[in-house]
Amino acid sequence: MSTEFDVPLIIRGEIIESDGIEYGGRRGGVAFRTPDVAAHIAKLPLRTPSMMADLYALRFEDILDFLVALGDRLDVAQNRHIQQAFALSCRTSGLSESILRHHYAHIGAMFDRTEMRAMMERSCGVDYLEGWVDQGPSRFPGLQARTRAFGSRCVHVIAGNAPIVSILTVIRNALTRSDAIIKTPSNDPLTAAAIVRTMAEMAPDHPVTKHITVAYWKGGDERIEQALYDPRGVEKIVAWGGFDSVKHITRYLQPGIDLITQDPKLSGTIIGKEAFADDATLASVARRLALDIGAQNQEGCVSARVIYVESGTDEEGLERANRLGQLTFTALQALPEHLSTPHKAFDQALKSEIDAIRLQDEDFRVFGGRGNEGAVIVSQEDYPVDFSRTLACRVGNIVPIDSVETAVRSVNAYTQTVGIYPEALKTALRDRLAFQGAQRIVSLGGAATMQHNMERQDAIEPVRRMCKWVTEEEADGRQLETLAG
Amino acid sequence: MSDYYQRLLADPTSFHDACYDDGFRLSIEQIERLHLEGARKRFAELRPGLSVLDKLAREQGIDAIGTIDDIAPLLFPHTVYKSYPISYLERARFDKLTKWLAGLTTTDISNVDASGIVSIDDWLDLLDAETPLTVAHTSGTTGKLSFVPRTKVQWRQTIVHSAIILRDWWGPGTGPDILADKMPIIIPGYRYGAAAQQRGNGIQIELYAGGPDNALFMYPDSRFSADVASLAGRLRAAEARGEAGIGDIPPVLLERRDALLALEQRRPEDVRHFFAEAQRRFGGRDVYVTAMWAILFDWAEEGLKRGIKGIFGPGSVLLTGGGKKGKEMPDDWRDQVLEFLGFDNFYEMYATSEMMGLCMMCKNGNYHVPPIIVPFLLDPETGRPLPRKDGTTGRFAGLDLMPQTYWAGLITGDEVTLSGWQTPCACGRTGPHVVPPVRRYSEKEGGDDRIVCAGAPEAHDRALEFLAELSM
Repeated sequence: MSTEFDVPLIIRGEIIESDGIEYGGRRGGVAFRTPDVAAHIAKLPLRTPSMMADLYALRFEDILDFLVALGDRLDVAQNRHIQQAFALSCRTSGLSESILRHHYAHIGAMFDRTEMRAMMERSCGVDYLEGWVDQGPSRFPGLQARTRAFGSRCVHVIAGNAPIVSILTVIRNALTRSDAIIKTPSNDPLTAAAIVRTMAEMAPDHPVTKHITVAYWKGGDERIEQALYDPRGVEKIVAWGGFDSVKHITRYLQPGIDLITQDPKLSGTIIGKEAFADDATLASVARRLALDIGAQNQEGCVSARVIYVESGTDEEGLERANRLGQLTFTALQALPEHLSTPHKAFDQALKSEIDAIRLQDEDFRVFGGRGNEGAVIVSQEDYPVDFSRTLACRVGNIVPIDSVETAVRSVNAYTQTVGIYPEALKTALRDRLAFQGAQRIVSLGGAATMQHNMERQDAIEPVRRMCKWVTEEEADGRQLETLAG
Repeated sequence: MSDYYQRLLADPTSFHDACYDDGFRLSIEQIERLHLEGARKRFAELRPGLSVLDKLAREQGIDAIGTIDDIAPLLFPHTVYKSYPISYLERARFDKLTKWLAGLTTTDISNVDASGIVSIDDWLDLLDAETPLTVAHTSGTTGKLSFVPRTKVQWRQTIVHSAIILRDWWGPGTGPDILADKMPIIIPGYRYGAAAQQRGNGIQIELYAGGPDNALFMYPDSRFSADVASLAGRLRAAEARGEAGIGDIPPVLLERRDALLALEQRRPEDVRHFFAEAQRRFGGRDVYVTAMWAILFDWAEEGLKRGIKGIFGPGSVLLTGGGKKGKEMPDDWRDQVLEFLGFDNFYEMYATSEMMGLCMMCKNGNYHVPPIIVPFLLDPETGRPLPRKDGTTGRFAGLDLMPQTYWAGLITGDEVTLSGWQTPCACGRTGPHVVPPVRRYSEKEGGDDRIVCAGAPEAHDRALEFLAELSM
């Protein structure tokens, strides 16, 4: 089955739709057409850095005004570009239509002035973005310094699991006064283009519009990447997800190009023995755990997969873990459809694994997993399933343990979020989890539903790193001269 | 024909040494009746003694086989033969692994005390010594081994069966009768080991070659170790558990490291010896060669590099299969192999390690499903059986009626097209056949994050390299 969509190439406000070549989408057999970027490659990078100056004629508030106005135009009910992006995403995304509908209905809300300002205040400090900030006295008498955060020329290799990736990239680029070349993914080639196209229609000559390019090419295309990843035109690469996409890029790394990677990550959960205090507590823990597993259909790096539970591993302990498994599966089935649904393309390799271990009830207890409804697998010893890295499509693995030590030691540099119950356990473990590599430690239930300070993402502060922190120093001339002897 | 057919109905295992060509002269009605009655018989006989099959039947609510489609929900996912937790290996719980295996065979292995065992190789040797089983392991792309509980009797039947195929595939009695007239056997692989490729070696030496002097292996003294083959999968499982898993490299492998490395170092010498011996002892003679294509290609490439070609006699035979297995090979790889070997009579199969029967390729390039394998095509999304209609494509599954002690009903990871239900193949054989290409679903879905390697030997080699890199 092949439905065709047109994906424009947008270069600094210019919309190019001619001479499309066809690419296949990841799922749903959808193909889309887009111009061959290789024919336009010379226009992509900003080879003359002085052209960044127009962004500095704007005040921070002007950029906020611009983004707020843009947000107002991204209403899915009115904006046909966003409607098309939604329609294509329904075919290519791992998220169900009901979840995507919720995402696309809230695109405009992401351009909230207060939130955007707070994000930049936390990550960079608005005064640093606006001007030169005095750095206070130095150990050299009379030496003063002023620092300002400047935007940089970045290529963003974005992920397509949810439209928020496109939205954040556009906002971060504008507010840091950077120049972006967004390389879109085949599982969402249209959302970033729809936002930027709206921007171009709203204000084709605005500096923010002039400093953003959106293109699709097949990751690894040497005709394009060899020419693009050149330090004369690109200072930084922000790469999301996809081990392969990052591997392609590492070939072109050289002095002068800074790589900011947001690697593929997995997330987990630690539940303390307090969860079993009484039936009501256990039921509430199960509902919150179901959120961490099921929200966004477990498509995110923040979604819980392996859940360590301090239930004990003796017979009674296993019974407690199994009870939690049962309740969690029930809660998973009851999640609202804007958050979670049966997966539309359940991973068949994972299904085979589940079907096989279902027959090994001495080792595993499986709740659900018969069709595409999702599953909770309860290990009957303190070991995750052998296929824990492939858990997806709303399948969680509860692992009973005698002590949270086992859980802490299972966390490593590939762990993004750890959801924890109860709060006291979180406080007790947070430093140690950070030593192990965990990057975000949240209340159980909050892993994939809400997120504070996303700009800290993966504990690497990508927004701050998008900037160049330039310092101007001032010393007394006579004092300097005395150093000459 | 009638006697032959009655025997098949009464005892499908009788297929193993009957004239192979007769199996492809049955009418489609006869084949369908054999499928249904055979499936009913195996299900009824095996269910009481096979706890895993019984559990699946209860799960699916199936007590009787009304139509052939009732078998489909009872087919095992291919993961069943590796559904033990890897923790059994890490914690040396071979008693539990034995118990797990006991659920998959009607052969009584309750006498086995595996409590002191620490390695897979030792466990397999113990089962060899104390039970009627010679368990074969496979090495999937994930590095986790499947264990198939085939009996000693069944292995012998399998080897006899292959000989019958060589004799009758191109017409009754047209090929060499290797059981009667022995032939040298040449195998570019390991002599010892419990992988499916090695399990038949001893029996082939006896039944085909008539003794070890008439056989040549690339690694004549070496064992393909299950512990080494499983290393990659075990390390990845350990890694996934973070610090809790690191350091779980099986101590037994570290202990044996020096021996394994000595073996590794001897390999270039083994290869040189193998080429020299192949030419010196068997050059120009009619021989029997068996290996997967990918391994044959390695051998041929190495040989051609040394200027060796056309080594064997024109009456030689090759039993092979397996395709490229994700390996990078030039377009003319088949021609290179045949040029090196010096003959072109090859028998190519499509098969799975869990089944005893093989699907052989005919002159038209189709793989013919023998009448004792009940083939299914399943909808890849729902798992429901698709109709028996020529040209239908789906996930291949099958129930091999030959094994009497374990359930050889299995869902593969392959996408295939079946024909032959309404219109027989132009080669004249009756019954269903697989129309190439055979594709892995995992490849079709754009790949996943699993390690895909070019078959087991490569994983074995990589694990050995890894051990070599480990500082002690």
